[in-house]
Amino acid sequence: MTTTVAPEARPAERRTAPAAPTAVRRRRRRRGDALGRTGPMKYLAHAGVWLYVLLLAAPLYYLVISAFKRNTDIFNQPFSPFTPLTFDNFGLAFSQASLGTAMLNSVYVTLGAELVTLLLAIPASYALARSKGAVGRMVERVFALGFLIPGFAALVPTVLLSISLGLFHTREFLILFLPASALPLTVILLTQAMRAVPAELEESALLDGAGPLRVLWSVYVPLSVPTLTVVAILNFLSFWNEYFFSLVIIGPDAALRTAQVALPTLSIANAAQYGVLAAGIIITLVPAYLVYAVFADKMESAVLAGALKG
Amino acid sequence: MTTLTTPHRPSPDSPDRAGSPAPRRRRSARVREAAQLSATLPALIWFLVFTVGPLVSLFYFSTVNWRGLIAPRTPAGLGNFERLFTDPVVGLGAWNTLLQLVVSLPIVVLGAFMLAYYLSLKPRGHRIMRALMFTPVLLSASALAMVFVGVFAPKGMINGLLDAVGLDELARPWLADGTSALWAIIIVTIWCSLSVSAIMLAARLNSVDESIFEAAEIDGAGHWRRMWQIAWPICREFIGVVTMLQFLWTLFASAAVVLLLTRGGPGNATVTLSFLVYDFAFNQSKVGYSQAVAVVLFVVGVAGILLIRRAFRQKY
Repeated sequence: MTTTVAPEARPAERRTAPAAPTAVRRRRRRRGDALGRTGPMKYLAHAGVWLYVLLLAAPLYYLVISAFKRNTDIFNQPFSPFTPLTFDNFGLAFSQASLGTAMLNSVYVTLGAELVTLLLAIPASYALARSKGAVGRMVERVFALGFLIPGFAALVPTVLLSISLGLFHTREFLILFLPASALPLTVILLTQAMRAVPAELEESALLDGAGPLRVLWSVYVPLSVPTLTVVAILNFLSFWNEYFFSLVIIGPDAALRTAQVALPTLSIANAAQYGVLAAGIIITLVPAYLVYAVFADKMESAVLAGALKG
Repeated sequence: MTTLTTPHRPSPDSPDRAGSPAPRRRRSARVREAAQLSATLPALIWFLVFTVGPLVSLFYFSTVNWRGLIAPRTPAGLGNFERLFTDPVVGLGAWNTLLQLVVSLPIVVLGAFMLAYYLSLKPRGHRIMRALMFTPVLLSASALAMVFVGVFAPKGMINGLLDAVGLDELARPWLADGTSALWAIIIVTIWCSLSVSAIMLAARLNSVDESIFEAAEIDGAGHWRRMWQIAWPICREFIGVVTMLQFLWTLFASAAVVLLLTRGGPGNATVTLSFLVYDFAFNQSKVGYSQAVAVVLFVVGVAGILLIRRAFRQKY
């Protein structure tokens, strides 16, 4: 029979225990017995999941080991991790695709767009959170509808807009344009967070003679930091990884293009050399992985927030 | 500014104590609301200029003859749309898009849900799984395509693997072969989105009150029944959201995968509608025509969203 009651409470449980002691203890079973009662089906479930994990891991494993191999070793011993270690691929990736410049361009565009997004979204969310009238609800609905707009459909008109603004083939247009696609979700999430700010805090700040800007800066912003972080991570990922608009608007100029646009040029330059390309992929992944490593606990809620689109 | 008079926000609907000053106070409340909401103006203007504007002009551009971004435009009425329905390349693109959706959507949504349920049981190794499944979330479209350039290359991972197990007669240039190229693209989209969707659904399942599952367990429901008859209905609306995201992603974002892996080739074997929007406009100097495809794509996208939302409406 399965053990439904774990006798000893592990530290992890104890932390959550006060909320619902019985419920938590019941659910956590012995490790490895998670599919307890399912009988032979459980082996099928385990096998299926691990097969998927293997299929998921295989290309990533191949990517990582290839980046540190010489080209001949990639062909002769494609799956062995024990071939002579080389870092030449990374140097070649940097020089062939001017990845250094491209990474700096990506940082410029990403941080610029992030800044513009927050500058636009924070005051808007503040106003929406404080407003209780019909107009406020209408504005909120406009942003909610924004989720339904797939930006890619408007690729060509957006290029045209950049031409008419005199910003075609510049990174600055992307800094202005990308926030627009991020605004709906950012504004909605921030508004929800700011609504949760207790009115008493604002009242006492007002009594102390603080103006609306001061209230925003010293009451609302500090209290919405958790949501701000989630939103910032989400936007960082989508700005850093943006490909199509960077490709058609900034263009192929090596001095201006972003990392995501520079990366594929490595595959054309090295038709039969996966090592250099693999090194390039890893280089462009580093910033995203750093964000993941630093904010690992926030990442899941960021992805979940991303799913609220719709 | 020093407003010491009314520290709390008067809500416009609140019944006033005295009858006479009511209209004036109501008007001042409205003025105050307008002043307050002016802070949303920059964001709204941004949204209108960069999102709504291009989208609206899309419909205009779909009705012109237009051979290049800086070439003059001449009106074409609905001619572009008439051409769409007889163009074999567009037909192929529509078929490929449909195939991609029909194959990948069920696999991704059902598979991701089962994976998420499995993860929510916290079995041995679930942390490693989670970390691994997060990697596709971090990959950009171009990095994703480049990973699979190595996998499908003539001397790449798959052929190396076939060689290693002695099945080298099955080896082929996967992306240069008409039938396998399209399946390769579909596999790439599934590989990426299965784990992304599973991560989202696992997060949703974590928030379900566990006592519900315990009650079912005590009543003798196995995992299979708990998964489909309890977890699924509870997450129904959220599964709809994930389906919608997956639908939009397949419809639009797969253009980058096609562009970078096959450029629509060999021949036109792997063109999709979203790839054609790009290809017609930037490689074939048929800008107006490409916008007609974009309009069709947009309409399909909105219709799909509404359909999915309807299908997954919460039933209790």
